[in-house]
Amino acid sequence: MELFRYDVNKYSPTQMVIIPLILLIVSLAIVGMTMMSTGLPVKPGMDFSGGTAITIVTTDSKETLAAEFSAYPLTEIGEGINGAKFLKFSSMDDAQFRSLSALVSEKYPDAKIDQIGESFGKSLQEQAIFAVLISFIGMAIVIFLVFRNFIPSCAVVLSAFADMVMTAAAMNVIGIPLSLGTTAALLMLIGYSVDSDILLTMRVFKRQGKFEEKLGGAFHTGIIMTSTAIAAIAAMLVVTYLGQVEIIMQMSAVILIGLFFDIMNTWLTNAAILKWYVNRRGSR
Amino acid sequence: MKKEDMISLLKDWRVALLIILVVASLIAIYPHFEDGKLVTNLQYGLDLQKGAWLQMELNAEVVGYDTSLPLDTFITNLNKELDTDVVVVDENHLEIRKPFTQQELDAAFMKAGGNLTTYKQGVSKSTADTIKRTLENKINTLGTKDARVNVITDLSGVTRYIRVELAGVDMNEAQEVVGKQGKFEIRIVTTGNETEHVLYGDSITSVGNPSQESASSKVWGVSFTLSEEGAQAIRDASIKYGAVTDPTKHNLIMLLDNEQVYSAPLSSDLASKMAQGEVRQLYASTGSGTAGLNDATNLEIHLRAGALPVDVTVAGSGSVSATLGDHFKWMCVLAGIFAILTVGCVIYFRYREPAIVLPMMAINCSEIIILLGIARFIQQLDLASIAGLIAVLGTGIDQLVIVTDEILHEGKVPSPNLYLKRLSRALGIILASAATVVIAMLPLALMDLSTLRGFAIITILGVLVGVLITRPAYGKIIMTILSR
Repeated sequence: MELFRYDVNKYSPTQMVIIPLILLIVSLAIVGMTMMSTGLPVKPGMDFSGGTAITIVTTDSKETLAAEFSAYPLTEIGEGINGAKFLKFSSMDDAQFRSLSALVSEKYPDAKIDQIGESFGKSLQEQAIFAVLISFIGMAIVIFLVFRNFIPSCAVVLSAFADMVMTAAAMNVIGIPLSLGTTAALLMLIGYSVDSDILLTMRVFKRQGKFEEKLGGAFHTGIIMTSTAIAAIAAMLVVTYLGQVEIIMQMSAVILIGLFFDIMNTWLTNAAILKWYVNRRGSR
Repeated sequence: MKKEDMISLLKDWRVALLIILVVASLIAIYPHFEDGKLVTNLQYGLDLQKGAWLQMELNAEVVGYDTSLPLDTFITNLNKELDTDVVVVDENHLEIRKPFTQQELDAAFMKAGGNLTTYKQGVSKSTADTIKRTLENKINTLGTKDARVNVITDLSGVTRYIRVELAGVDMNEAQEVVGKQGKFEIRIVTTGNETEHVLYGDSITSVGNPSQESASSKVWGVSFTLSEEGAQAIRDASIKYGAVTDPTKHNLIMLLDNEQVYSAPLSSDLASKMAQGEVRQLYASTGSGTAGLNDATNLEIHLRAGALPVDVTVAGSGSVSATLGDHFKWMCVLAGIFAILTVGCVIYFRYREPAIVLPMMAINCSEIIILLGIARFIQQLDLASIAGLIAVLGTGIDQLVIVTDEILHEGKVPSPNLYLKRLSRALGIILASAATVVIAMLPLALMDLSTLRGFAIITILGVLVGVLITRPAYGKIIMTILSR
């Protein structure tokens, strides 16, 4: 496939890591800043900060809706295609929520309502952070067990880490909130990310032949892998965007962004570290 | 492909297993038409069909303690100090049935003559079971066919949340059902079948857990306390109709929503006590053995008349209408089909060989069918788990590419020996990446982060089905095709 005219063997390790390194530093800065203001690496959505979200399909204008729900803490009205409206409310007490849901089921019986209380959101948030940490550590342990070789393992773990950090930064920039769904998508990225890294590392260490040839071959296979995954996820994104399925739309957007970063982190970062490692070992 | 190739391929256990599983899955999913609509046996979560869920936080604490006082005295002190029910969970833990902060309890425990050692919001397992049964009872009166009550318990056995899922109702109905209280009444038999009203459920001030009246007795029952007016009413009625002098002819009958749930005479001991004065602490015995215990558990729920032993607040809730649920369902089907087609195009673009592309796509589809077949038994499909399904499709095709490229290495079709070596190397790569995905998803599958659990379970299942069943079969099929 000739979509990517990139020769993985052309550049030196230092040249290869320079772009990802700059991006990683910028991303860490963005994520760090968000962390200072919100306590989470990505601005939390309703699932973690609490609140109510209502999806309705209606021809009523934003202004009408704003007037309709003026008695409730309405924070945002989003608009999709085909008359879909996404209403967000901040936290309210049981009685107020009950009256809101009564109003909604009377006026818009086809609505989807989701509500998360503040303390429940907090507990979900703590568990989600815990889950991501455990997942990442578990992944790193598996990688070290598979390769039993320190530097190549580190390269895989580092590029998975970079994928996640860069994707988190991109979420902040684009404005995709951290929800249960997007947390799952970030975890899924761990899986996608190590796929191509493991392929690269296995090909380099377990096959006979010249390093350049093995790297080229791995690149050939790896790119087709990632592009099929991109195709599947992009298809999901398009359909769910047109069909206004917010949660899957956000999840696929996150995975898609992550896959593009993964191409860079596998074939620049990880490949550069392996190249440097093999050269150093060869010269001794 | 030659006929004998085909037959030997079908005889290969990996291929045969794949085919058997696909067929079995299709039977399990059982897609068929009913009234012109496509129906299957798949279970849908509450964002793909009409329904509502409520997650409730239980306002109580389970705490560890130590004290130098006798336990009874300590608990009586605590009762006074906190003005609420304090229940013994086990020798080291108490359950406090009202919301308190750790500081408040710290102070109260000191005053009562002990120390607070651990603090956790939630209730003990047995209380959680009572709440679960009470909610199930209420839901049963609604007649919904598809309802579930999930107790969310942490590793130490404390339950802080209970989740109720009701298919076919909207948010308002769900709130009503869960909040609904029954009408509890005690009546007394006057003559023959005639009964007379004694008191309503509001005269019952507290209800105990099922217990045995004394350590030596084998008889189970439930103790409950009446308000002063209630105790007065029951004494007046018992004297007026002669239950005090002839208890067996004048049973006390308990009714919940006008249905009899309990009927028994005053014990002779109680009858004589009542003749002298009011008795506020009553005990309704239900019999011995497991049957007695079961009856006692039910009676406890009836005595509460649908009220839960602890207060709850709604922590989270959600509902979807039938229209929107159907819309989401179709979008998911569409997204799946569209994803498979796009992947097919990309693969074709790369290999330009139908003999490779078609088996790949067939394997991918069979993987989804098997996955749905398994999910039908263990997992509700909701939006998040559908996303997991499509994501697994992505990794699945990735791994087929690895197998194909590994076998086609250097453009030549290898001899069977070399083929096996390459296939096992490809499976090595696949196994390593499968292991990482499973490990990465395991915390989500074990924790109860609501909808994420389904996502994780589907992803793990998908990886396992791929590694154990479809990838080995694909290796065999592609070899047969390539060695033509």
